Amino acid sequence: MNTALEAYFAARIYSGGRALRRTTFRHVHLADPPLAIAMWRLGGERFRAAALAWGPLDGPFQLAVPGEPRNRDLYFAALEPFAVDLCARIRRVAASRVARQRGSVTEHIPADALQIVVPNKTTVNALGLLGRYLAYLSDRGGVAPHPALIEAGKHLRFYARNARVPGQALLVPLDRLVADHWATLLSPFEQANLAALDAQIEPGPGRHPFAASAAAEAAARIGPEPTEDIDRVTGSLLSEFNAHRGTSTDPTVTEPLAGPLREHYRDLIEPVWQLMNRVVARELQLTAAPSVYRRFESDRAAFGRHVDWVVNQGGHYRTTDTPRQAAITLRRLEDSLARYEADQAVEDPACMIGHLLDGDAVRGTVASLTETKVVVNVRRVPRAVIALDSPDPVTLPAGKELWWTATASGEPWEVQSLQHTSTGSRVFLILTARPTPARLPAVGDVITLSTLCTGHSHPWPMPPADPPWTHRPDTPLTEPEPIDSGDSEQPAAPVDAAAAEDPGRYT
Amino acid sequence: MTHHQQQPDQAAANLLARVRGQAPDIRANVRRLAAFANVHACPTAAVAFAARVDTNRVLAGTSMEMPYGQSPFAIGRGVAFEALLRRHGHAELRRVLTVGLATDFTFAAIENLREGYPPNRAGLRMRATVTQTRMAEIAGRPAEPVVLDGAVLQADIGGLPAYFEADEMAIGVGGQIIVGENKSWPVVDGKPTDEDALGAALDQAATYVLLGRRTLEHAGVDPALMSDSIVLVTPRNTGLAPSLHRQDVASRIRRIERLLGAVPDIRETAKSTPASVTFDVVADTTRPEGVRMEAFRQVTDELGRVYEPASCLTSCGFAWACRQCLFAAGDPDLVGGAVARALPGIASLSRVAELGQGAPASTAEVPAAVPLARAGRLYDEIVPAPVPPTAPPTAPTPTPTPDDTPRRTA
Repeated sequence: MNTALEAYFAARIYSGGRALRRTTFRHVHLADPPLAIAMWRLGGERFRAAALAWGPLDGPFQLAVPGEPRNRDLYFAALEPFAVDLCARIRRVAASRVARQRGSVTEHIPADALQIVVPNKTTVNALGLLGRYLAYLSDRGGVAPHPALIEAGKHLRFYARNARVPGQALLVPLDRLVADHWATLLSPFEQANLAALDAQIEPGPGRHPFAASAAAEAAARIGPEPTEDIDRVTGSLLSEFNAHRGTSTDPTVTEPLAGPLREHYRDLIEPVWQLMNRVVARELQLTAAPSVYRRFESDRAAFGRHVDWVVNQGGHYRTTDTPRQAAITLRRLEDSLARYEADQAVEDPACMIGHLLDGDAVRGTVASLTETKVVVNVRRVPRAVIALDSPDPVTLPAGKELWWTATASGEPWEVQSLQHTSTGSRVFLILTARPTPARLPAVGDVITLSTLCTGHSHPWPMPPADPPWTHRPDTPLTEPEPIDSGDSEQPAAPVDAAAAEDPGRYT
Repeated sequence: MTHHQQQPDQAAANLLARVRGQAPDIRANVRRLAAFANVHACPTAAVAFAARVDTNRVLAGTSMEMPYGQSPFAIGRGVAFEALLRRHGHAELRRVLTVGLATDFTFAAIENLREGYPPNRAGLRMRATVTQTRMAEIAGRPAEPVVLDGAVLQADIGGLPAYFEADEMAIGVGGQIIVGENKSWPVVDGKPTDEDALGAALDQAATYVLLGRRTLEHAGVDPALMSDSIVLVTPRNTGLAPSLHRQDVASRIRRIERLLGAVPDIRETAKSTPASVTFDVVADTTRPEGVRMEAFRQVTDELGRVYEPASCLTSCGFAWACRQCLFAAGDPDLVGGAVARALPGIASLSRVAELGQGAPASTAEVPAAVPLARAGRLYDEIVPAPVPPTAPPTAPTPTPTPDDTPRRTA
């Protein structure tokens, strides 16, 4: 983030009364339509979806409302249709494969991957926890849970973990998508509210984005964590539901009784669904950046490996990474982030502005293009030299390597010298490879060179298979106990804040 | 902050009562202190804290009232978890302490200070005395550990006495005292399900350690007997079955010591607060919202405000109202301190917009104006046409990839 650019954005939005695009392309793949998921939990209950809506975003949603989500039988009965549908969709999409050639290796990766969109990052975490729960269910009371629940848990866990990869498009939190593509008057903290973000972009006629987002922030309920007012209503409806069903979990008894709760959550989810639909439709109008295809291909490959492991081989994932896995994952995430940032800036001039202001890039007009000879090892070889006139003062050390955005995956240019002029700077750069027409700009072209390279990153050594003592736990990790060992506990009764001696203690 | 109370300054207290007016009041506790620590740089928040104004409720009934309530299910879960720990003579608490601290708590004396004392200030004072006495017993190296359930620590916060209630305090574990805090969010695979809540819980426990050390010091006992490490007792997995996690909070203790040192003294605050400042009209629910908000603007203009979105919106009930005032004034603080700090010498966002369009800068504005003008020029060069909010944005046309060709319309 360049603060001058952020300040400029804020001032323009404040004065002009409209949000601004941060990018000229869309940098994340969007399916048409993606599968959307929205959920609400019971307050404080991290594993319990009190309502879960899903479906293709361009149509009506299906809604799972267990009534009492802390009752295992009711909960699983309600989640089963979702789990079955999710598994079927994933298997269907993964079935169609295409060949991908990488060097001498031919891989067969899925032709597409199921994309899931959710309203916010909190929902990503909630789905990850739900996946952690369902994927490792035990046979409590001798009754095995429906296999689709366990498989869906593995899928959700994979999606939530993969969501950490910068630029991935398998599980897209829409608040991040919008915040990355639009400049608004909202601080990073406020950008977690999708309704406020949307209101800044489309505030309505005659309304300033600030007023629109403040109103949306006060009124909109996005989930998954309920506010007090929502759970007050839930509390009374749930009490009635439990009072009438007694201890019954028979669907013929509980289904009709859950009607009011279903309506309560339908009313909450309907506006969230419309909001997600509006956001995705708006972002789909923007052309995707060229690298979106390559990143989604990586997503498809990861999706294919996951399905092969879980569905075809019946595999499980570790609940906790080994130190070696953690080190490899961290390195891959760092590489992905560097590549994603480079792709964005190289392909999208609007994303390069921050780098230009930070001094990581230089933009100017090619004033001259000459050829010279330099000695490399023992041979004199031809090299191209350009003089670049920048309207801004440039401070770059001699020897600094910069990549022209048109050949960012190729050979760098090296800064030879700088001349400061009355209107800016003249930068002399030498190409570090044999000059070819594709590598050379023409005199008069306005070009940008930056420190960002989209070529292959240097290979890095894998961590040793046997990590050193510094990376080993003091005591061997114990086998985790079943995650659902508390499922038979009696649910806690809700307590109104007015009745609690010090309600703040329980935050 | 000092540990043992000076006599509260009655004149200062009266002055601050006038500042509070009919605004709802709130006593200092560890969460209030933590919330204040997040906004302690703000003069309005400092005066409100000193005057014990409940910022969450002052603007009740206006559109600027922020939601701050808690789900009854979340409270119910917390109550149930604590009840589970106390059930059958604290059997579960004894078990997790024994396993987690490698000390046998089977026959430890557990003194429940939440029972048997009046639920008021006098009760808190009595519990604080008992806590201090029990803590001092550590010097005698007791044979069996003692656990205080609901230990109370006493301190002067900005010149007014305040009481802080720790969930547990285990005295005599390896010759030390260990603070414990119960939280009802679950831990899965050794990781918290809510990282923000974990940070807050550790800060809370670190505050108790610091106050405990001061209590020991006052009793003439070596404060180092208060352990740097604390224990968190949380449910694990989907149920409420408790588990214990030990954590070193030495660095947090140092940070909290600095924060407590920054709490303004009420005498100083009372002296420096202008006579015209009062939250009386702001909190008056019989008045129209416009009148209350204008009174709020006057109070905050008079005292000064420091708005930092992330900390204010999570810690102060005035945040929406302050944000509204900043918007009305076009103050760059509206979008956060990082941006505002990049604009020295520039008072308003309107002026920033002018400078971004290349308007001549005054001498004071030059350092910020140069990068702003450059940002504006580059943006206008690269994204020339303003994007209408409801029309499809225009963009240079790269080769569309097969799967990303837009097909939908809004």
